[in-house]
Amino acid sequence: MKLLVVEDEHTLLQSILEYFTQEEFLCEGSATHADALNKIEDFSYDCIILDINLPDGNGLRLLQHLRKQKKDDAVIIISARDSLQDKITGLDYGADDYITKPFHLSELNARVKALLRRKYVHGTDTLELGNLQIELFSRTASCGQQKLSLTKSEFDLLAYLMNNPNRVVSRQAIAEHIYGDQSDNMPSFDFVYSQIKNLKRKLKEKGCDDLIQTVYGLGYKLSL
Amino acid sequence: MSKPLLQRNTRYLLTWLPVVLLFCSFLFYVMLRMQAHHMQEKQLLLKQENVWKTFVANKGNIEKHIIGEYDIVEATQPVALNASRDTLVYYADEKKSLPFEILTGRMQWNNTSYNLTTYVSSTEISHLIIKVFITEAFILLLLLVAIVILNRKSSKLLWKPFFSTLHAANNYDIARNQPLALATHTGTTEFDELNGSMTSFVNNANTAYFNQKQFVENASHEMQTPLAIIRSKLELLINQPGLTEKSASMLQDITEANDHLSQMNRNLLLLSKIENNQFPDAGPVDVSQMLRHLLNSFQEHYEYFPALTCNIEDHVVLQANRSLIEILLSNLVNNAIIHNKENGEMNVTLSSSYLLIQNTGPKPDIDPMELFERFKKGSYQTKTTGLGLSLVKQIVLLYQYQISYQYLDGWHMIKVTFR
Repeated sequence: MKLLVVEDEHTLLQSILEYFTQEEFLCEGSATHADALNKIEDFSYDCIILDINLPDGNGLRLLQHLRKQKKDDAVIIISARDSLQDKITGLDYGADDYITKPFHLSELNARVKALLRRKYVHGTDTLELGNLQIELFSRTASCGQQKLSLTKSEFDLLAYLMNNPNRVVSRQAIAEHIYGDQSDNMPSFDFVYSQIKNLKRKLKEKGCDDLIQTVYGLGYKLSL
Repeated sequence: MSKPLLQRNTRYLLTWLPVVLLFCSFLFYVMLRMQAHHMQEKQLLLKQENVWKTFVANKGNIEKHIIGEYDIVEATQPVALNASRDTLVYYADEKKSLPFEILTGRMQWNNTSYNLTTYVSSTEISHLIIKVFITEAFILLLLLVAIVILNRKSSKLLWKPFFSTLHAANNYDIARNQPLALATHTGTTEFDELNGSMTSFVNNANTAYFNQKQFVENASHEMQTPLAIIRSKLELLINQPGLTEKSASMLQDITEANDHLSQMNRNLLLLSKIENNQFPDAGPVDVSQMLRHLLNSFQEHYEYFPALTCNIEDHVVLQANRSLIEILLSNLVNNAIIHNKENGEMNVTLSSSYLLIQNTGPKPDIDPMELFERFKKGSYQTKTTGLGLSLVKQIVLLYQYQISYQYLDGWHMIKVTFR
């Protein structure tokens, strides 16, 4: 999969590139409007991560240009602006998703993957790890042949971890993913702990032991 | 004690004007008396001359005594001459004495000296004086009333620009950032000056306030990117192989502090956006439904959710921005969870006119009035941003609801009155 990251803040660009390279994407970075425009003209990407505020132009113009050329690269806007109006404008210009800074890389990764699945996979939409399987479309999960009965947040949590396999995902990232903006005023993310506990118990009952590891106090990791 | 300008002015007039008028009346009376006396003297002299001419012309052959008119007697004993005197003359047929003014002059005729005394009645003149005085007093009274009324009218008219300025100043609210529209030409130099300086004063305040708000918003915006960088680097760092427990615990502390910072930043941004009125689109919001949904999801996610008693009326609808009402409700519910005690309770009551959230918990260690201020929080809570309740207050202010807080018998009570 080819990915283009357009972000003028060099260190942030590097972080994103590093994360997605580890996810085995073919990544290219671009810090200016002009450079990004050249790349878009010359190549086609599966997904473009686009910052709106660039030193030499607006990311939205880039997006407009892309859509005029009838290119259907998936586009995720990353922006410091979080008002509803900004989001609507971004989506109107043809973006597929909008995520506000500061974001978790694991969240960005999950969104990129969701976009790519939407783009390339039709009908069934399955994630697998060992004998654990989840169907995103019908929202069911199973371990081998046995179905898991999960609550809505437990399913979201599992799907999130499945999207970021072999990685430590912080509790904050999980809380924000499940709760969205409301997690802002939460005094603690203890509920993540209890949901992980329940999820682990349910997985163990159906024979998928030890898939989820707790990494010190930092977060959780789903791996074989 | 201060009183209205008009009242003070009238009181002042009513105190001093009568004194002046009384003094003037007295002066007028004295003058009138003097003038009347002078006039009588002239009359007496004229009469004396006329009578003496007649006496001489008729060679002394006229009536020597006419009561109330004149007396002619040969001068035998000395009398006061050429000075008017008061006297009483008895009228037998009316059986009473009447006041007269008399003047005696010494005349010479046929080598005989005569004392000629002429009389002028004082009754009419004193009647006249009284009548004139009464009239004058009446006129002065009218004058007093007229002056007071005119003064009140003109004061009202003259001070009108002042009162409209005062009214505008009273209605001025810096948070709304509107200019103060004051008349520039009131017709009075001082008021023009007052309005001019008020206007520039308010404009300066507005500009300063606007810049302040912009500053908060811009600063929050600018902080997003460094926060995003820290966050992304931390995520990469926790995925590095060979993480020791010690560094993991340090990383966790950094992550938590950074997340706290982003939350605070987001809330500050939200606050300044509400202050800048950037949530214009209001529509009907079903508060009952939203509140139930919210309570459910909170209950699902909090292991230690307090025992909940709900009394939620159906279909309570408010005209407001949906996300703001969501923030209002979730912050209040959240607050009732955070500031609760172990195995605590929570009561939520919603009706069409108010929302009441009660929860058990320890007595707040800060002044209840300060609870809704930014960054005022009980010292034992370090994980909250200290902005939740000030967001609530800002939303309440925006929609002109009312909010009150009370602590009674171990219960916190927050009530939001919608109308």
